[in-house]
Amino acid sequence: MRCEHFERQMWAYIEGQLPDARAFEEHLRACPRCQRQLAAAQATYRTLHALPRHRAPANLSEQVRRRIAAAPARPRFDWARKWWRVALAPALGVLVAAVWWGWQTPQTAPSYGIASEDLTESLVELHEQLEVADWSPSPTPSYFITTGYTR
Amino acid sequence: MDTLSIEAQLVERAKAQDEAAFEQIMRLYADRLYNYILRMVGNATDAEDLVQETFLRAYQGLPQFDGRASLGTWLYRIATNLCIDHQRRRARRVQTVSYSEGEDEEGEPCAWDFPDQQTPNPLEAALNRELEAVVEDAIGKLSPKLKTVLLLYDVEELSYEEIARVLGIPIGTVKSRLNHARTQIQKAVAAYLDDAPLSARVRGTK
Repeated sequence: MRCEHFERQMWAYIEGQLPDARAFEEHLRACPRCQRQLAAAQATYRTLHALPRHRAPANLSEQVRRRIAAAPARPRFDWARKWWRVALAPALGVLVAAVWWGWQTPQTAPSYGIASEDLTESLVELHEQLEVADWSPSPTPSYFITTGYTR
Repeated sequence: MDTLSIEAQLVERAKAQDEAAFEQIMRLYADRLYNYILRMVGNATDAEDLVQETFLRAYQGLPQFDGRASLGTWLYRIATNLCIDHQRRRARRVQTVSYSEGEDEEGEPCAWDFPDQQTPNPLEAALNRELEAVVEDAIGKLSPKLKTVLLLYDVEELSYEEIARVLGIPIGTVKSRLNHARTQIQKAVAAYLDDAPLSARVRGTK
């Protein structure tokens, strides 16, 4: 057995999870370096499992109750998210149509391009409002614009 | 009745706005979560804030808790996420956090706060305390990923399966991170054992 192999098996040996420890122990007897490694690993394992346990502050539950009372009432997130998704789906459709229309008629009707930018801004605003209404993580406006609302 | 079904009942009662049930959940997990969070973040003030936040999030998330994970797994997951977020925020301000340099709530240095009067050999007791300080310091220097797994397995004594569920990673990854974390601690311990004159004296007595 080589030293690297010994080191890989060291923790399993300490935990008594090495099914056949003969080769491991044979190497151990012959290698002073690995003897030192194992001694340090055993001291590490023993110390980790005997570390002092810290107790939570006595007033913890009182503090938590205070925070619960001070926290804003929980809105109905699921309902809010579904409602906005329903509202956003046609808005996205309108945006795609407007951008497409703007591209199709750039010379004759340049104002369409502006209109589609306005629409994009409106949609970004709409999405920002959605983020304000919903504290849970949601796609950023740029993600939304480029890849669509996929969640 | 086993622990899991007792906990499931507590959760059901807490979901039905039974404040006493939620209090009991806090009593069951306060010390475990605090002990874990304190070593994750390295100081008592932040740990106190984060354990409160963990229970606040748990309270707010109770309606969504479907019982597929155990209560403990769920709480450790909330705590872990909060600790990792906290460390990310803090990493922008502070380069390193050393647990052994922290102080507990009474302002005493943590690493030297636990004299073991029962140990027969005073030299060995002194060595154990020194080793504790070395190990705590090395834990404080681990990356959050490695620290989480090491603390959950070796200190909080969760199983590989439970840790895999807490972190949402495969069991093989849990084992490999644990090995890496232990090896880093072991290197610090080996360096200490090679250098420390006290430890040499203790080893010489054996």
